[in-house]
Amino acid sequence: MSQGIPLSWLQLKHEKMKLFAAVAGVMVSVVLMWMQLGLMKALFASAVVFHGSMNGELVIVHSQYEHLLHSKVFSSRLLYRLRGSPDVSDVFSIYLSPGEWKNPWNGEMRSIQCYGIETDNASLKLPGIERHLQQLRNTDVFLYDRMARPRFGDVVGAVERREPVELELNRRRMSLAGVVDLGASFGVDGNVLVSHANFLRLFSERKSGEIDVGVVKLVPGISVVSAQQQFQKVLGKEVQVLTVDQFKELELIYWRSATPIGIIFTAGTVVGFFIGFIVVYQILYTDVTNHLPQYATMKAMGFSDGYLYQLVLGQSVQLATMGFIPGSLIAAAMYAGLRKVTQLPLYMEPMRGVFLIFATILMCTFSGMLAVRKLRSADPADVF
Amino acid sequence: MKTDDSKAVITGAGINFSFGQGELRKQILFDVELAIQPGEIVLLTGPSGSGKTTLLTLIAGLRKLQEGRLDVLGHSLHNASQTDLLKLRRKIGFIFQAHNLLPYLTALQNVQVMFDLQPGVTIKEGRERATRILQQVGLGERMNYHVSRLSGGQKQRVAIARALVGRPELVLADEPTAALDGTSGREVVNLLQSLAREQKRPILMVTHDVRVLDIADRIIEMQDGHLTASSRGSSSAENHPAKGVQNESDIAAVTF
Repeated sequence: MSQGIPLSWLQLKHEKMKLFAAVAGVMVSVVLMWMQLGLMKALFASAVVFHGSMNGELVIVHSQYEHLLHSKVFSSRLLYRLRGSPDVSDVFSIYLSPGEWKNPWNGEMRSIQCYGIETDNASLKLPGIERHLQQLRNTDVFLYDRMARPRFGDVVGAVERREPVELELNRRRMSLAGVVDLGASFGVDGNVLVSHANFLRLFSERKSGEIDVGVVKLVPGISVVSAQQQFQKVLGKEVQVLTVDQFKELELIYWRSATPIGIIFTAGTVVGFFIGFIVVYQILYTDVTNHLPQYATMKAMGFSDGYLYQLVLGQSVQLATMGFIPGSLIAAAMYAGLRKVTQLPLYMEPMRGVFLIFATILMCTFSGMLAVRKLRSADPADVF
Repeated sequence: MKTDDSKAVITGAGINFSFGQGELRKQILFDVELAIQPGEIVLLTGPSGSGKTTLLTLIAGLRKLQEGRLDVLGHSLHNASQTDLLKLRRKIGFIFQAHNLLPYLTALQNVQVMFDLQPGVTIKEGRERATRILQQVGLGERMNYHVSRLSGGQKQRVAIARALVGRPELVLADEPTAALDGTSGREVVNLLQSLAREQKRPILMVTHDVRVLDIADRIIEMQDGHLTASSRGSSSAENHPAKGVQNESDIAAVTF
């Protein structure tokens, strides 16, 4: 192509409808891949928002703890043993349990995740939580998750209108003390934060001192790994001492293995890839077939197979580029829409974009390489 | 690789060629012998199915030589490799029955793209040479037209420009006038003749078209796979009239 004539592009744009169809095919495929990967990532990210907000480096849970919805209690006395350690700056305990929320507007009952937290110090690193801790000490009050699904009622709207919100939680009259951001996930529709005392009032079957999660804040500069090993020895086999990352990982392992979510979204991504692959292949294949006499002529005149391969593969890379850009714009719009409706953390992450650029180019090149095999049947002797 | 007769552009002897296998085997060429000298314009005529086109594809290195000896532009075609055949084809200018231009390119691009085969030629030089030859074939005003907007005769003139722009050592043409009316056919052939004379390029042209026989230095006739006659053409006449010969597709009866 030393004469600078962009043959592949000129050939592509010669037939506008075909070009449009091919680009649309790539676009659909790109949108699908963005959506599937984004939703998968968002699901996993939303499942560990709580875990990521721990105000400490180490987390202690029962040895049989599996994930947030499948917790097992242990005695908070174990935590007190760590208070004496010179490496520890603070220890917090958290109760958790699903509770019954009665929507004050339509009376529907919904399950909502409830956390009993300490109110002397912030055990969770949530923006703006400090100013609510004082109010949380009052009897029968709670903090509501601003990013909970709308099915719990328009609590946020009521707060904005400065209307008092009162409702039944586990058949107990509670009033709203404020809102914080936590977020819904696939397993949990919304969250409620209460004090230890109020938690025990809501869940009368729970015993004081039998907690679900312990959080350990280390003195700055202490090695997390060695503290973890040391504490595990001190506390024995009844509990497991985890870093925050391990705590998250445990939750993710559950979602990945016990549910088909990972498989479904990975399969969805693969389907997206193949849709693009097949559309581009079909179009390039018929294109090569229709142009066989032209290719045979070029071969007869002395153009090499390599030159013609480049011509077809050039078209696939151009289709990839032309489909990727609008496809990504559509995906960005859909992300924004879904973010609003589902409260899921869907964002156009640059790394995913780079991955998808490569996936799209690979997809188009594959189909181009497959279509190019048809070129061999262009017999230059047939042109005479 | 060099032939004994280094002067001749094409020399062949004892060429036999068949299509098919076993019982379906059909022999097309029988003991063909030919030689074409530099600068010669040779017409190959004969009825349909006489083997003219097969002989042309063998000379062009588009089919595998089965039997005999054939040397074209210094390449021995007996057991020649694909790479060698490709090299040979790059030295040949091809003109086809239908123009076989790339429909998505302009006239100029169709001609200029041939320099993709000659990496030494710069874009600027390529464009200049393509422009010049298109002016020579009378299409200076229509260089930037897409070929779909040109008439049949104009398309074939672009094809001639494309075949000659790379300064080939040999021009092979297969029925270049078959798809054209009498006047356009005449123009195209005259053009081909004058350009070839100017560049001193040998031409081997397969044709049925009795109207154009007068451009030849030599006419070779073929029948049933045998070269039957070779006669001197009336090459001296640059603008020879068509002698009033009727447009008959079957010229087997015409003898020289």
